[in-house]
Amino acid sequence: MPSLTERVWSPYVAGIIIGLLQIPAFLLAESALGASSSFVTAAGYLASAVDGGVAQIDYFAKYMTSQKYFWQSALVIGIAAGAYLSARASQTRRRAFSPAWTQMVGVTSTWGRAGMGFAGGFIMLMGARIAGGCTSGHGISGMAQLAVGSFLAVTAMFAGGILVASLFRRV
Amino acid sequence: METLGLVVLGGIMGLVFGLALEKSRVMEPGVLVGQFQFRSFIMLKMFLTATATGLVVLAAMTGFGWVTLGPKAMAVGPVLIGGLILGAGIAIAGACPGTALAQAGAGYRDALFVIAGGVFGAMAYGYFQTDIAALLAMGDFGKITLADLLPVPFWALALGFAALLVAVLVALERWRPWYDDLGPGGTGLWDDAPGSPRVDANRGGSGRPVEA
Repeated sequence: MPSLTERVWSPYVAGIIIGLLQIPAFLLAESALGASSSFVTAAGYLASAVDGGVAQIDYFAKYMTSQKYFWQSALVIGIAAGAYLSARASQTRRRAFSPAWTQMVGVTSTWGRAGMGFAGGFIMLMGARIAGGCTSGHGISGMAQLAVGSFLAVTAMFAGGILVASLFRRV
Repeated sequence: METLGLVVLGGIMGLVFGLALEKSRVMEPGVLVGQFQFRSFIMLKMFLTATATGLVVLAAMTGFGWVTLGPKAMAVGPVLIGGLILGAGIAIAGACPGTALAQAGAGYRDALFVIAGGVFGAMAYGYFQTDIAALLAMGDFGKITLADLLPVPFWALALGFAALLVAVLVALERWRPWYDDLGPGGTGLWDDAPGSPRVDANRGGSGRPVEA
């Protein structure tokens, strides 16, 4: 049994654990594992601070009222807490940003990488919402349900990722 | 379930999810982008293992009639275009929507900007949703699964597909063991700074020490 103090677990152990999370997801939350919808919930509440009309927009309203999205929002916050505890338990320290970025794209300042990260995050969620799911919802959960649309989504995701990553240096 | 119960459940499930993402290093930009560059296969191995496990779990739970599936729609226009944009964004962000949170928890400060960008991206989509959806509306076949297209029940197809994935994973692992894909330093952190340990990727764990 892998221990919390170990720094690295095999991807197979991690994959089985994540796959088993579909049991409480389907049985108790009556939903598949997903992550990107919770960004709409957060965006809706953030926008409502300055725009009183947000709750009248059907798309935001759906993600701000359904219980399912409160569950998912708690899930993604839990992901951050779980990763924090995991890194602490194994005394794994990280820098402000991964050294892989300096090697892959030559960025050396935290602000430079922050700007790139913001742009990447914006594009990523825009795409996820257009497609109706991300690597969790379309990927892990969609393929596990043999959803035809999710096979297309995963293929397109890898195509987009491979195309952009081919512009980076290989390290 | 009541809202409070669902929030507690989600929080506990997220803890487990985040733990698995940090331990497996799938949330590392060097590992994630490395998969797109075909120099690390850790992400694909975790992804296919999670999918195979999910297939077995769902085959059983639907077979016993405990749960019903909730597949997403096969809408060619949005799924294809959205998927391409999402993939490009993942490479630039170095994260998926879920792993960005794991990065932030594990200590990467740039992940906070990825998350902020994501919230604004979701907000922008929300404001223009009707226009974007109308623009890309084509080829909507509804919420179909392979079990709807083939004369085989879901549980049988799911178990068969899971077996196929396991065979692919066995072949992948034979071709290149996962611990060889952990990058410089063998820690998965891509941290090859002078003085950083090269041998203690796992302290007495299941991994193999990396030769210096």
